[in-house]
Amino acid sequence: MYRSQKLAVRYFVAAVTLFGVMTIAGLLSALYYLHPSLLFNVFNFNMAKIFHIDTLIIWLLMGFMGAVYWFLPQELGREVEGIWLAEILFYVFCAVVAVVSVVFIFVQYGSSNEFSLWFINQGRKYVEAPRWAAIGIVIVVLTFVYNVVATCFKARRMTGILWVLVLDLIPLTLLYLDAFPALTNMSKDLYWWWWLVHMWVEGTWEVLIGCIMAWALMDVMGTSRRIVETWLYIEVMLVLGAGILGIGHHYFWIGTPQYWLSIGGFFSALEPLPLLGMVVHAIYDAGAHHMKTNNRPAFYWILAEAFGNFIGAGVFGFMMTLPQINLFSHGTQWTVSHGHFAFWGAYACGVIAVLYLAKQKISGVEFLDGRAWKWGFGLLNFGMIGMVGGLLIAGIAQAFYERAIGGSTMMAYMAGQENPWFVSGMYARMGFGLIFAAGYIVLVYDLLSSGKRAPKAVVKSQTT
Amino acid sequence: MTPYALIYTAVLLGLFVLAGGGYGGFYSVGRLWSNTVLIRAGVACYLVAILLALAICLFTPLAALWKVVIVLSVLIYAAIPPVTWRYLAKLHRTPEESK
Repeated sequence: MYRSQKLAVRYFVAAVTLFGVMTIAGLLSALYYLHPSLLFNVFNFNMAKIFHIDTLIIWLLMGFMGAVYWFLPQELGREVEGIWLAEILFYVFCAVVAVVSVVFIFVQYGSSNEFSLWFINQGRKYVEAPRWAAIGIVIVVLTFVYNVVATCFKARRMTGILWVLVLDLIPLTLLYLDAFPALTNMSKDLYWWWWLVHMWVEGTWEVLIGCIMAWALMDVMGTSRRIVETWLYIEVMLVLGAGILGIGHHYFWIGTPQYWLSIGGFFSALEPLPLLGMVVHAIYDAGAHHMKTNNRPAFYWILAEAFGNFIGAGVFGFMMTLPQINLFSHGTQWTVSHGHFAFWGAYACGVIAVLYLAKQKISGVEFLDGRAWKWGFGLLNFGMIGMVGGLLIAGIAQAFYERAIGGSTMMAYMAGQENPWFVSGMYARMGFGLIFAAGYIVLVYDLLSSGKRAPKAVVKSQTT
Repeated sequence: MTPYALIYTAVLLGLFVLAGGGYGGFYSVGRLWSNTVLIRAGVACYLVAILLALAICLFTPLAALWKVVIVLSVLIYAAIPPVTWRYLAKLHRTPEESK
């Protein structure tokens, strides 16, 4: 194994750990809806939510970085340039996350002054990390960019996937700088803040996971480079074509000009089209290789990625993206339902597939299969589907009773929170959240132990 | 938009995309296994998508622009699975097979 791949494994371990923290924080956040006075003034809902969504971003980012450090030396047949620096900065990254977590647990928030911005909490959703930590993350990401670009230069070789990756790393880095401004005008602040959140999630991350999946497909199914690269170009073009101006679907209730709502609605309405193409592609590729693979968990997680992306982003997104619906659904649990499913389908499933690829190589088995991964796969996906179902019911009740009937007043909000449909949805979310957490435990167990059970797995997969 | 119109419009929109996905999924698996029943199931899903598009146009209070988008989408849905499939088959052909 290359040193870069050993570093990738460390990133994977950190990512899976944060995935666990995210799950615990998610369960805690769900509990507050059922017991609103839980840990009141000790650890309020807002802090649990910060942990839940910030660890979501960080675990996926660490998963992506790990995946690139895993595949890059394989792609270019050489060690990653400046790997020693990347190794040091991995620990810096982990230390930053740990210190920020301690501050979030014990200090939580400060006064409205520069000190709070720099050392406690920036107060901007998804990028709450104080500025010193945000600077640390910029340094880590810049090193990551340097590693990728310098390795390509040294190797004097560029592949199609690498071109796409390198070009994507530019906006990936630049957009994060949007985490720093502290504009006092809320409309302006939210306008630019969405550039970071939307463009990352529906722009640069989509491209990044596209590159990672291209490598994963070559690895898991032996798909030819010509095919994955051609498809990568098409998908990137379509996803970016619809995704960039789709930013308008976030511009509700923040004071942006009205034309954004139509622009956002129109381009978001186009987003299911490439996703439908991806479903066809996934089925074709699986069939072209007669469902034969030497790594069944990775293969099934890749399939889950295609279908989850279509349903989470396509179906759940389209249900609420047109302005006349979005006006009411915006910021309700309906959005939360779509967000959970879309993140799960588009990114989490892809990262888990790469974890199994790495697992296979580390354990040195020719075929990776078994029983535990199926339980993990089933529990995680069943738990997620149940959670988004519960949130959808709660969100629709909220949009109906609180927004459409109640007119979004404070009283209507309170009535919406007490509505039986809303409460039942939240109980369902909690129950299915526990199933999801059980799936996480099985996943970790399987990742840690499937190599040890490899001989059995080999025999099984050879005989089936 | 009335509260009830909000709910049934959103549900119709979601089902519309889901029917499109069903068409793509069944069509692809049918082509893969050369199974006409599954291909027909795909076509049935597409017919459902057309009916849903029609219902959206006739019974929902969406603005005219969005109804045009829905009509265009359902037309594009018709082409995506067969065109994508043909393109993928062409892409998977080796240079010798292409000759």
